[in-house]
Amino acid sequence: MAAVKETVETVGEIEKYKYGFFTDIESEKAPIGLTEDTVRFISAKKDEPEWLLKWRLAAFRRWQTMTEPTWAKVTYPPIDFQDAYYYSAPKQTAKLDSLDQVDPKLLETYEKLGIPLTEQKMLAGVAVDAVFDSVSVVTTFKEKLAEAGVIFCPMSEAVRNHPELVKKYLGSVVPTSDNFYATLNSAVFSEGSFVYIPEGVRCPMELSTYFRINEKQTGQFERTLIIADKGSYVSYLEGCTAPQRDENQLHAAVVELIAHDDAEIKYSTVQNWFPGDEEGKGGVYNFVTKRGDCRGANSKISWTQVETGSAITWKYPSCILRGDNSRGEFYSIAISNGRQQVDSGTKMIHLGRNTTSRIISKGISAGRSSNTYRGLVSVHRKAENVRNFTQCDSLLIGDRCSAHTVPYIETKNPTAILEHEATTSKISDDQLFYCMQRGIGEEEAVALIVNGFCRDVLQQLPMEFAVEAQKLVGISLEGSVG
Amino acid sequence: MSMLEIKNLHVTVGGKEILKGIDLDIRAGEVHAIMGPNGSGKSTLSYVLAGRDGYVVTEGSVRFKGKDLLEMSVDERAAAGIFLAFQYPLEIPGVTTMTFLKTALNAQRKARGEEELDAVRFLKLVREKSKPLNVSDEMLKRSLNVGYSGGEKKRAEVLQMSLLEPALAVLDETDSGLDIDALKTVAEGVNALRSPERAMVVITHYQRLLDYIVPDVVHVLSRGRIVKTGGKDLALELEKSGYAEYGADAA
Amino acid sequence: MSEKETQYFIEAYEEKRAALPGAGGWLARRREAAMDAFREAGLPHRRLEDWKYTDLRQTLEKAAFAPAPAHEGAVVLPGRRSASAFASIDRHVLIFVNGRYRADLSQVAHLPKGVELHALADVVHEQWAKDLVERRFDDARQAENIVDLNTALMSDGACLRVRKGVKLDKPLHLLFVAQDAGASHTRNLVLLESEAEATIIETHVGEVASFTDIVTDIAIGEGARLNHVKLQDEASDAVHLATMRARLAADAKLSSFALTLGCGVSRGQSFVLFSGEGAEANIDGAYALRNKQHADQFCVIDHAVPACTSHTLFKGALDGKSEGVFQGKVIVRPHAQKSDGRQMTHALLLSRDAAMNAKPELEIYADDVQCAHGSTVGELSKDSIFYLRSRGIPEDEARRLLVLAFLDEALDLTPHDLARDALKLLVSEWFGEVAL
Ligand SMILES: Nc1ncnc2c1ncn2[C@@H]1O[C@H](COP(=O)(O)OP(=O)(O)O)[C@@H](O)[C@H]1O
Ligand SMILES: [Mg+2]
Repeated sequence: MAAVKETVETVGEIEKYKYGFFTDIESEKAPIGLTEDTVRFISAKKDEPEWLLKWRLAAFRRWQTMTEPTWAKVTYPPIDFQDAYYYSAPKQTAKLDSLDQVDPKLLETYEKLGIPLTEQKMLAGVAVDAVFDSVSVVTTFKEKLAEAGVIFCPMSEAVRNHPELVKKYLGSVVPTSDNFYATLNSAVFSEGSFVYIPEGVRCPMELSTYFRINEKQTGQFERTLIIADKGSYVSYLEGCTAPQRDENQLHAAVVELIAHDDAEIKYSTVQNWFPGDEEGKGGVYNFVTKRGDCRGANSKISWTQVETGSAITWKYPSCILRGDNSRGEFYSIAISNGRQQVDSGTKMIHLGRNTTSRIISKGISAGRSSNTYRGLVSVHRKAENVRNFTQCDSLLIGDRCSAHTVPYIETKNPTAILEHEATTSKISDDQLFYCMQRGIGEEEAVALIVNGFCRDVLQQLPMEFAVEAQKLVGISLEGSVG
Repeated sequence: MSMLEIKNLHVTVGGKEILKGIDLDIRAGEVHAIMGPNGSGKSTLSYVLAGRDGYVVTEGSVRFKGKDLLEMSVDERAAAGIFLAFQYPLEIPGVTTMTFLKTALNAQRKARGEEELDAVRFLKLVREKSKPLNVSDEMLKRSLNVGYSGGEKKRAEVLQMSLLEPALAVLDETDSGLDIDALKTVAEGVNALRSPERAMVVITHYQRLLDYIVPDVVHVLSRGRIVKTGGKDLALELEKSGYAEYGADAA
Repeated sequence: MSEKETQYFIEAYEEKRAALPGAGGWLARRREAAMDAFREAGLPHRRLEDWKYTDLRQTLEKAAFAPAPAHEGAVVLPGRRSASAFASIDRHVLIFVNGRYRADLSQVAHLPKGVELHALADVVHEQWAKDLVERRFDDARQAENIVDLNTALMSDGACLRVRKGVKLDKPLHLLFVAQDAGASHTRNLVLLESEAEATIIETHVGEVASFTDIVTDIAIGEGARLNHVKLQDEASDAVHLATMRARLAADAKLSSFALTLGCGVSRGQSFVLFSGEGAEANIDGAYALRNKQHADQFCVIDHAVPACTSHTLFKGALDGKSEGVFQGKVIVRPHAQKSDGRQMTHALLLSRDAAMNAKPELEIYADDVQCAHGSTVGELSKDSIFYLRSRGIPEDEARRLLVLAFLDEALDLTPHDLARDALKLLVSEWFGEVAL
């Protein structure tokens, strides 16, 4: 009982402290480190209801008993979870005044990506807002979306305005106890998007969010929750960029998708977090849990990802195919260069009858990077007539990188037909010569051939994203030949 | 003035000397045929002109439009106007022929300081050039050379040539593997490109192609040397006597 | 770590070590170290990635095995056909009963000059034997660690050395019969010097609750060639654990084929290391399981040097409540350019309750390589069955034909013609007994 009293007092103090918050810019961050108080601080800061605080605390206590997963094919020095900030609101003084002060290399990248100048400013850390497109989209198209009954808002707003939906679905796909990073996220998540598409509604536009990590030494823990009610459809795009920093930054997001009967969710990601410099200094640790639940019959969830950034990627967007006739798809391009390490793939868990899944993974490794596909296709005893097709291709550029394929195929039902194929190849000198003989420069030729290699996946992206992704492929591989 | 001037060209491949002193002078407007037995070095010559890795020039010089060709990179040579129709065109999975053509054309235009073509103008141009070569839209949408038949590959090579409008086109055994109708189509495509500003080197093993693409000069290449040069009649002569006297390899 | 399931092995070691081959020499020290390591690690279990699908600890906990007794006198060959499958092949035969060599039952006609064949106890003092026993492959540490158990307790085995350029005149058949219940630990050593050639056929049969722990260490010299055919068919309460570790010098060739008709739980591990360029390894197999059988094929191929070729094909038919496992890994080391590594695994599920787990891995550190793997799992094609029935073939027969055709692709890879025919016959008889 003494401990409880003590905690209450501490919270009280934090509550008081809160008032100085808006004036004293230096105290916008939660104190460094992670304790129960940090969790209470975040929750209090966001004016959360009691149930959510309890939910967070349960996750936190669970997290304290867990250890980091070590099975992925990545290596990095131990992370000191007490040497990071878990909450940080936008900080005026840290802002840059103009683009002149931004690292030119970063600007160059944005330029090549064709991101408009105003957006460049935001991405480069000039703007004041911490959440970008999700806010602007919401404000721009708020009327149109409201007309359709679509809810698209920051998570904290959803907690305030739609508590019944959040309470019902939050953690229902990725439980608070799921894995080390998801549990950490559950305890300290700060921002993220919430989407609800009502029954029978086809979302009138693509929804998109740009994420970025801004602050130094700050972990980023967004939480995204998308619910597609019966017979609805939504396409959601997620873009990620981060400024260049010398030290590593932790990004541990959780994305939960729920598709009810006859609903479809298409989730596309172009992830371009800072990958670290050529020597592997700095860069984002991207430890993300993404999972979709095809809860209803005839539902469909499709993940498409273009992963070019991050020092370390640990990410397995998955589908639980619970509803009969539901379908899961995973289309992935993972490019690694420099000293990047990627361990990514998917899980297709077939529980329902006549469920189908398709996995197309294209891994490209260059420089001294390491690129691993890790995937699970699992068919449960009662899942009749399951079909899966998996194709994993790896392309190696240069002889100092590596590519790995680790598929797990498990079936307990004889009516399943599961096919898995994997190949490893390189860009042949002859192909390069042929392209160059036609006047195409070497780097452009490499980009062309790699884009060809990725075509099956690029085709899955929404039009405007596909163009961006194609350019990104070229940029990511710069300096990988010659 | 000479368009291409090759002097005493010696080339080794994998440490073995393949070309042993080639002299060749080609002027704008001319079509030269190079004939010779298998293994005599015909493809080697074409690769050296295009600048392929692993083909080491140990002696001699090559000047193209007055400039030292050997100093230039592969893509610079292409932009300067050298085109090689490959004996064995490469396959590039996932890259459609259409995308490839556009990338190549615009890369060359850019290198020459010309304006790049937008999608509409490009499409119009490709359609116009494809038609006489019997290259269908469907074929253009497929991955470059992937799953093409032998004839389709060669027609696609000629299409690339007609689109890129090179100053010097080198056709390496473009006739091999073609039936007579396909051969005619290809030859018509090539002939349509003949012009006073353009030179061509037609490499072939058989005289047959030269019935349709009539050369101004015929060279016989044997064991890395040009052993005989003459007019178009030389090709007919060869047809009769075969390559025996030029030391055809048993193969 | 001295839980129940390890206790028998630890006790057996304490009791017998003085009497085991190599007492007092390097091997005794090696055994001691191996036993220490085994005591420390215990038996492998499901939480170790390499043992994810086969929990040896649990298996041996359920059926604790005391050492099998030495068997003297006459041996009754088990009734199953596997015992005599290779009888018609002209061969040298070594018979092991309960893991011990029985000279009185074996038939070894005089061997060609340059072929040396000994029992384990007779070669342990030789350097080549030491080299083979001590060598680790290391790339699947978790899987290889179990060899410690064998090293500590190995009591016998066939040791074959073929001198430079010599060809073993006929196949060497090692017939292992489990006559009495209990554990046996056998170690075979095979050294083919450069340009040598040999074919080894291995059969494991038994009708008792045996635990067979067998390790075969192989070194194949430059340009030498080893064919290996293995047939395993033991009792439903038996456990079989076999590890083959082979190192191939330049231009060496290993062709190995294993037919697993299984037992209660069986696990076949193959480790292949290329140490010279231009070598080739074919590690293939087929399995047919029923009832509650569980069979795990674990295969790691290490392309440590350039220009080697490895092909692996495993096909299996799973009936009843059986469970099949395939775990394979092709590693291509940095600079091992021009490696060609292919790995295929296909399984047919013949019943509602059968299950299959596959994990075919590629680990590639060089770019100029050709590596691929493929895996399929499914049931018999209904269309094919329909087609055969429409031609008047009864359903049972149609299914049998299709299963046999499916397995044939693998069986065809058996590197000895007569042995291949024998295995095919055996498989067709096996399916003759099953109502499909
Ligand atoms: N990469 C290579 N290394 C060594 N010799 C080569 C190589 N490529 C071609 N050659 C040899 O060069 C000679 C000429 O070949 P090529 O130019 O292809 O002849 P052609 O086109 O006239 O048939 C042949 O003897 C061929 O074997
Ligand atoms: Mg040629």
